[in-house]
Amino acid sequence: MAGPYNGLRIVDTTGLAGAYATRLFAGLGAEVIRLEPPDGSPLRRLGPFAHNVEPPENSLWWSYLAMGTRSVVIDPQDTDALMQILAEADVVFEDQLPEKSLVPQDEISPTTIRTKILPFGLAGPKRNWSSSNLVAWAASGILYTTGFTNRPPVAPAAPMQLAYHASAASALVGTLLALRSRRITGVAQDVEISMQEVALSIAPETGVPMFMDDRVHRERSGNRRDLGRPFGLYPCKDGFVSIIVLMPRHWAAMAQWVSETTGNESITEEVFVDNAVRVEAKDLIDDWVEELTTQGTRLELFEEGQRRGIPITPVNTIDALVDNPHLEAADFWTTTQLQDATEVTIPGAPFRSSSPWWSMAPAPRLGEHTHIYLN
Amino acid sequence: MTNTENDLPLNGVRVFELGIAIASPFCGKLMAHFGADVLKIESRMSPDVVRILGSAWLKDRDDLAPISSDTSPYVSEMNASKRSIGLELKTKEGKAAALQLLAECDVFLANFGARALTELGLDYDSVAAVNPDIVYVQLPGFGSDETMPYYPFVAWGPNQAPLVGMDDFTGHADDPPAGIATIAPPDYMSALHAAIATITGLEQRDITGEGVHIDISQFETTLALLGPFVMDYDLTGTVYSRIGNRSMWGAPQGVYPCAGNERWIAISATEAEDWTALRTLLGSAIDLDFDNPSTRLTDQDRLDEQIAAWTSSFEVEDLAYRLQSAGIAAHVVSTNEDLLHDTHVTSRNWYQVAASSRLGRDVFSGCAVKLSATPGRWTAAGPSMGEHTREVLSDVVGLSEEEINNLISAGGAFEQLEPDMVATRPWNDWIHLLVPGTEDARDL
Repeated sequence: MAGPYNGLRIVDTTGLAGAYATRLFAGLGAEVIRLEPPDGSPLRRLGPFAHNVEPPENSLWWSYLAMGTRSVVIDPQDTDALMQILAEADVVFEDQLPEKSLVPQDEISPTTIRTKILPFGLAGPKRNWSSSNLVAWAASGILYTTGFTNRPPVAPAAPMQLAYHASAASALVGTLLALRSRRITGVAQDVEISMQEVALSIAPETGVPMFMDDRVHRERSGNRRDLGRPFGLYPCKDGFVSIIVLMPRHWAAMAQWVSETTGNESITEEVFVDNAVRVEAKDLIDDWVEELTTQGTRLELFEEGQRRGIPITPVNTIDALVDNPHLEAADFWTTTQLQDATEVTIPGAPFRSSSPWWSMAPAPRLGEHTHIYLN
Repeated sequence: MTNTENDLPLNGVRVFELGIAIASPFCGKLMAHFGADVLKIESRMSPDVVRILGSAWLKDRDDLAPISSDTSPYVSEMNASKRSIGLELKTKEGKAAALQLLAECDVFLANFGARALTELGLDYDSVAAVNPDIVYVQLPGFGSDETMPYYPFVAWGPNQAPLVGMDDFTGHADDPPAGIATIAPPDYMSALHAAIATITGLEQRDITGEGVHIDISQFETTLALLGPFVMDYDLTGTVYSRIGNRSMWGAPQGVYPCAGNERWIAISATEAEDWTALRTLLGSAIDLDFDNPSTRLTDQDRLDEQIAAWTSSFEVEDLAYRLQSAGIAAHVVSTNEDLLHDTHVTSRNWYQVAASSRLGRDVFSGCAVKLSATPGRWTAAGPSMGEHTREVLSDVVGLSEEEINNLISAGGAFEQLEPDMVATRPWNDWIHLLVPGTEDARDL
């Protein structure tokens, strides 16, 4: 293991806000120390849990996000111990405003990079506001546009905690840039992430520049959109598939497929080549497409549709992903070890590199490395 | 502290970007902001989708049709501060010029399909042959290994989220999946991982002199966010799915109606101290047995009904301030109109304005990564298509004027169409309302 971040010491004082960043950092070879209070990181209280493992080692969130890191338990009142750990840190991750942070703001070494992931940033009228994954999406404009018209709006992929992970990934980008800058100039600096801005950056569709352009109020429209037809989710034997047809060649292939499979002769008529006509006749088109999709499974429709050059994907569930033939052939899934030595499946490296950067040890026990850093 | 462009962390790094839509362009924009010279390679034969979108206010302006490709707001949103070079890679001449240009670049960044790159002769081996220590980063939908089953498959934008499990996780528990076709988080997550991989590759190259090939299968990258659910499935067979806006870890959390039509508030009060604070505000609107935390978890329907009855009498903005003043995470479920008036966002200079050769100036979203000592730069808004072809071929590749003329007349390269044709966006005069302190920027 010889990545360019070998030998760097990272101290993580965050919970969910920074965990994905320091997980990646550890995977790329940095020495990541997670500071935990005596009763453990808040991540350790997040279910689902492994039933055969005792708390505080049983959280699957902890077991996944803390992989490759080291656990040092520290009494928040013990400033000497804290300073001992921080003294040799190249980077400190924080998720609290300076006045509330565990980290003494004035005593940190000027060569230490400080990465702060905050709900609404360091400054501005809402600097003191609290957040969550849900609240960050609410503040981005995207929550309002997601869901069915007759139901309350919903956050995108809420259980995945995307707003936190995207903030963490953005924080890591900033941190790596700051490290590069420090290597060249010798000067350290602060990295600031506002979770609201991260969510906004993922949501230009509801952003102000787009709105100024078309002045259209964005509304939710369920799982189909009137940009084209077929466009969105269609039911099948074991769930749903997603079909996005805009381009003429995609429609030609789609109409051909429906016609061949269901005997529908009308769908290949010239008039439907015009996307605007298909949107106008959307109920009819949707019925015809559903006559095809309800005959197959997600995987059958995906593989056959793709073979025909149609932009179609399965609406995958966790079980379908774990059993997916491509991911299996690509040897994507790997395993980690829980504290009772159970091997459990986890996603592999998020990217593949011709240099051997990536490696991940199991998550540490509470305080497993305290004795190494504090004597 | 000094703060000139020469100090930016990616100063001196030149990027050859073959980007479409979001995944690669979003990464390139980030790199350009922090000092890289990002060269967006463009084609008229198969243009980037942002060149096809155009702008809503130009729909009926046939006189401005030649500049339509420069007018989608996404041009600046995804490509601010880049230079645009028109090269037709499917021509022999254009391909040769691209290889000459690649020899002068530090990073190759592309989200073309893996097969498309190979067909262009720009797969890793071909590029490394002219530039052995290049940092080569590609973001194909399903990886670049041609022996893998989905290698030739195509997934983009709205189709990617369902593929990686996001649509199944979106919606209320008893509803069909709601779908998230309005945004494409996998594109952005791939872009952020691409930035992480690229900077890591540059560090390795600077320290050891060795280049690197990084393959970001967009399918795999986003799955890295599913860890705990995959583990639970492996251990217990549980298939996690959508749960509306609720939290897996506490209650209440949800989106509740407020006074008026389609006004909603998001509230997260999952910790014990949140409940204490919320209880005080709710007063008699809530049953006493909810003081028991396990009742809050087991009877969420009744809990949410009572909270919704309470929130529906409030004006949403007012309620958000009341809740946050009590320390409870809450926010208006902002519409796009609300964002226009979000003074927190504008006070932080989230929207940026920069010069545009076609539009005079243009506004776009800033960068969510903020560095205190090297805060980045915006040299320009999104480039006009082919705007920098001549200067890059001359200054970077070292072609003579005659060689460039020959390349263009052979169809291997192209320049900006109608360079003298300019237009101003209808909202140009009030951009300053979005960007504090830019009143003086009107003549930019």
